[in-house]
Amino acid sequence: MSSAQIEIQVIASLVAIACAIPGTFLVLRKMAMISDAISHSILPGIVIGFFITQDLNSPLLILLAAITGIITVVLVEYIQKTGLVKEDTAIGLVFPALFSIGVILIAKNANDVHLDVDAVLLGELAFAPFDRLIIYGVDVGPKSLWIIGCILLTTLGLLSAFFKELKVSTFDAGLAASLGFSPGVIHYGLMSVSSVTTVGAFDAVGAILVVALMIAPAATAYLLTTNLKRMLVYAMCFGVFSAIMGYWLAHILDASIAGSITTILGLIFFVVYLFAPSKGIIAVLFREKQQRTEVFLLTFLLHLKNHNEEGERHVNHLNEHINWQKVRSKTVLDLALKNNMITINNKIVSLTEKGNDFTAQAIDYIITNEDTQIEHMKDDFFLFRG
Amino acid sequence: MKRTFLLFTITLTVFGCKNPKKDNSKLNVVTTTTMITDLVKNIGGDHINLQGLMGSGVDPHLYKASEGDVSKLANADIIFYNGLHLEGKLVEVFEKMKNKKTIAIADALDKSTLIGSEYFASNFDPHIWFNIEYWKQATQFVVKTLTDAIPEQKETFKTNGNNYIKQLDALKNKLETVIETLPREKRILVTAHDAFNYFGKAFNFEVVGLQGLSTATEAGVQDVQNLSAFIIEHQVKAIFVESSVPKRTIEALQASVKSKDHDVTIGGTLYSDALGDAGTIEGTYIGMFEYNVNTIVNALK
Repeated sequence: MSSAQIEIQVIASLVAIACAIPGTFLVLRKMAMISDAISHSILPGIVIGFFITQDLNSPLLILLAAITGIITVVLVEYIQKTGLVKEDTAIGLVFPALFSIGVILIAKNANDVHLDVDAVLLGELAFAPFDRLIIYGVDVGPKSLWIIGCILLTTLGLLSAFFKELKVSTFDAGLAASLGFSPGVIHYGLMSVSSVTTVGAFDAVGAILVVALMIAPAATAYLLTTNLKRMLVYAMCFGVFSAIMGYWLAHILDASIAGSITTILGLIFFVVYLFAPSKGIIAVLFREKQQRTEVFLLTFLLHLKNHNEEGERHVNHLNEHINWQKVRSKTVLDLALKNNMITINNKIVSLTEKGNDFTAQAIDYIITNEDTQIEHMKDDFFLFRG
Repeated sequence: MKRTFLLFTITLTVFGCKNPKKDNSKLNVVTTTTMITDLVKNIGGDHINLQGLMGSGVDPHLYKASEGDVSKLANADIIFYNGLHLEGKLVEVFEKMKNKKTIAIADALDKSTLIGSEYFASNFDPHIWFNIEYWKQATQFVVKTLTDAIPEQKETFKTNGNNYIKQLDALKNKLETVIETLPREKRILVTAHDAFNYFGKAFNFEVVGLQGLSTATEAGVQDVQNLSAFIIEHQVKAIFVESSVPKRTIEALQASVKSKDHDVTIGGTLYSDALGDAGTIEGTYIGMFEYNVNTIVNALK
């Protein structure tokens, strides 16, 4: 493996970690699209920078881009605070406005210069190893590696210093305010970090990949845990894993690196979405099916409790009496037997003592309108779930 | 973080073994556009290991790198590129490469003869290959660069270069006779983007592009309206599609002209920023130029 290949993977991994940290908080605060907004709204900053310096390569352009990013965030926050529109609407109002100011500035003053966001920020991972940082004639590594490294260190420093504040203000802004630290300050701080990370990462890996790396790993981690620390760690792991796997996918297919990383991110999210233990689609489907059977079981037990006459309790008549299909009646009957709720004598079903207790308690809860308690009761009574 | 690092190390070890072999015996030369690839191939022949980054039909302004290009660039001894911002961000990357020899073909030319931007002095029209004289200078430049790199092949490169310049001279004469058959007032070339300015200057064509220099910009409604008025006023018979630019802008122009009860045909596809498929006649610089001129002259006659 050549040094260029290693450098690309290191840069991609660092970007993934640097994006995962603000990304986790953005996803939790339902502000995920702010990174996409910033990647567009920095255009006027770049255009104005170009008019001042007349040079596409000047660092002033990137600085102004980051400042425009912060302006975006402040404007979004200001519109949100009015309470007239929701978060996502505020984002949608601000970034097209800023972006189109940039477009008009280009159309009026610089129509025949190749000036757009792509022309200023490198935005191509494949070329990152060739853009070296040279200090006093010594080659110290790719420039974007240093930029991202600095951003990552700052973010990690801020995260460990303000973790508690971030956590409280993310989940309970009211509590944060009453504890004496302003959620507004934390919010602006977080948004400014996101803005700087977006612009810096943009230069290293390109717009789409930044948005993907901010949101996809955090969203995937969100499906797996309800613990903030774990969510941060999972998001970083998913980001780094996708960055490296994506690189090798690109290597095998000889395709765009950013495209392959984004594909892997999407695939991982899809797999977790399907198979996550509690929030995954399969787990949810399974739980729904289980609950449906258990509701049928309860109905069946209530029926038994209400009827003493043997005709109503004959196995063969179950289908007619409660109007069930054969398969379903068999499932329910088996479940009840396994849990020792019923006994069957001469094809006549009767409740056991345990079944009787269970049904009586369930009726109590239903009458007092405490249906949710039935779920807890199931844990006490059931040896096997539906 | 420990887990991340572990994962990283494992992946590196697993995939680390899969390393493409590199041919060390020859000079590794990487070129960007198909035009430059063709030029360097004609001079270097079998004495160099030549790899082009962009395929046929790829628009150099919008070129996106693939993973394979990283290894190509990392292993390259010499990189030839067009320069003048044709390859977008890549040009800057090449300019910054300190540990490799990167050669901009445009450096061979006298900047004062190039067509500049109205607004900003340091930006020039990058489509220099449409002037055969420039391309002859480029040929000599490539011969010189390759000779510096492999001095023992000096004679071969010189002969190849001279032969190629002869072919270019022959091409120029041939094209001039073809173009002579087209009367002066019919020499109006309407294309999708401003790629043919040097061609127009060399062969006395009036060249009008629908989009600006960069294919990344979009044509405005006003541009289409103005240009269709121009086409009607000058009785232009045909307009042209380019292989590396989507057709739809030119089709919009045609529709606009037709809506004013005037007829204009699409004269064919011209190769502007990239050559045709490798192996076909249009896949070489000379074949491409001949094809373009024949298409233009036949459609405008």
